Amino acid sequence: MGGKQELSRIGARVRELLADDPQAPSDTRQARAAFLEQVARRNVTARAPIPLGGRPRRWMALLVGAAAVGSVVGLWPWKRPVTFQIGEAHSGFLGDVVEAPAGRTVPVAFSDGSRLSIHDGARMRVLSLDSGARGLSVRVLLEDGVLDASIAHRPGVKANWRFDAGPYQVTVTGTKFQMQFRNTLPSLRVSTEEGRVVVTGGCLHAPAAISAGQTLETSCPSIETTPRDDPPAAASPAGPAAELGSKRRTARPERWRELLAAGRLQDGLREAERANFDRVCERATPHELFALADAGRFFGLHGRAVGALTALRRRFPGTPEAGTAAFTLGRIAFENEDAYARAAQWFDTYLHEQPAGALMGDAFGRLIEAQVRSGDRIGARATAQQYLRRFPGGPYASEARGVLSK
Amino acid sequence: MLRSILGPDDDVPDLLQEVFIRAMDRIGNVREADRLGAWLTTIAVFVGRAHIRLRSRRKWLRLFSPERTAPRQLHQPPSDVRRALRDVYAVLDDMPVVPRMAFVLRYIHGATLVEVAEACDASLATIKRRLSRAERHFLNAVRQRPELAGWLEEGTRWAENKS
Repeated sequence: MGGKQELSRIGARVRELLADDPQAPSDTRQARAAFLEQVARRNVTARAPIPLGGRPRRWMALLVGAAAVGSVVGLWPWKRPVTFQIGEAHSGFLGDVVEAPAGRTVPVAFSDGSRLSIHDGARMRVLSLDSGARGLSVRVLLEDGVLDASIAHRPGVKANWRFDAGPYQVTVTGTKFQMQFRNTLPSLRVSTEEGRVVVTGGCLHAPAAISAGQTLETSCPSIETTPRDDPPAAASPAGPAAELGSKRRTARPERWRELLAAGRLQDGLREAERANFDRVCERATPHELFALADAGRFFGLHGRAVGALTALRRRFPGTPEAGTAAFTLGRIAFENEDAYARAAQWFDTYLHEQPAGALMGDAFGRLIEAQVRSGDRIGARATAQQYLRRFPGGPYASEARGVLSK
Repeated sequence: MLRSILGPDDDVPDLLQEVFIRAMDRIGNVREADRLGAWLTTIAVFVGRAHIRLRSRRKWLRLFSPERTAPRQLHQPPSDVRRALRDVYAVLDDMPVVPRMAFVLRYIHGATLVEVAEACDASLATIKRRLSRAERHFLNAVRQRPELAGWLEEGTRWAENKS
């Protein structure tokens, strides 16, 4: 065998097999559905608060996909925003938190030539981008830390940038400046390198214009803010004054719902923690509990994931969702905690509760692996035999035969 | 395109969604409508390449991904063909990602050399060098897997008989 002609024939053969894979149409449908859901969430988030318990509206679709991916994507009715990119090659999304790891700088580059950089633990979000006949309007929230900005000024284009930091607003047109905000105090420091910025809000009695070479420092300890790491409301000290203070700092009760529904899992989890995670778990729907669990898993807070899934099983016993929660608890135990015996118990629980569930085959396979890793060879052999009786040609068949052959 | 790059991979739906999302956010960069296909291919190549690099760091999880549902188990193609497909991509997984991308686009996806160069954002000469390396790697690897070599030989004879 050899030669480019042979390789071309091999490639054609592989291509046919991939096309014949019955999973292929399902993959495309699944991806399309998830994408349209994402578009719908963006549409609703950009226009209005998401109604509690309601479904987001769907907007008309416009054809974008071509032969390479072969699918249909959506039109969205608002003006197409200026895009921005985080780091080297990650598209930025409105509302998502951008955070600089300790000791590092994260650049945020806009397609109009403007550039932001956040440093060493700083957090920011791009709240809105609006570009059109009337010019460019951008709103950025600096939650905490140091941000450097170099705002492009283009002739003929009116650009209005606004930076919010706690109770302060910094308005710029075309300039270079640095702002530093500490939400624990709160305090703001603005230094302008080129051009001019205007600072309002907080305890400033009048707008303060900061020209090139000037610096403003201000702090307003009496002004209400929302600290990033606020303790849960239940831990606040008792007493009317303290209660008022803690009420001011407590997150809006349903904000976590809005964020989860908008697909902003990490923010939703943070808001749920601010609103007392255990209480949220007592009020959340199964779908919301899964979202909280996903957020915990994706962002390394496995304890929160376990908490949400355990609450789901306790509050909605016997449901398909409870079964899926058992499966996911098994995955967490297996993949994140190396607790193979416990993982095996969870997969076995799923198989008992949902003997015809959609995850049945996968649960069997994972159960075999968990039993092997926990040293339960007898259990693994029994499970392997069961699996091969039901799925002699299944994707775990070779692994099951391997267990039986040893 | 993604399935050509990655083979049967349970992350394909999520990656496909990522391609759509990136396309939606950058559609304003497309100036000519007839370039849309090539532009989308570039995005798919970028996403696929990033996933391959990530996957190579989590190799031990590959066999136990969550979306193998009952319907798949019931309707999958004959097991030897499925195994051969898995073996082909195991060979590709051992290949460095850069020449792999060129190889997959050229031979599995069926793109021309010019199209491969554009999708990989490289010169034609560079793509030819990458392909040469990938071809040697692939053929050497297949020779060390007699079962796969036999299946591929049968496959080519099948193709010859069909034509």
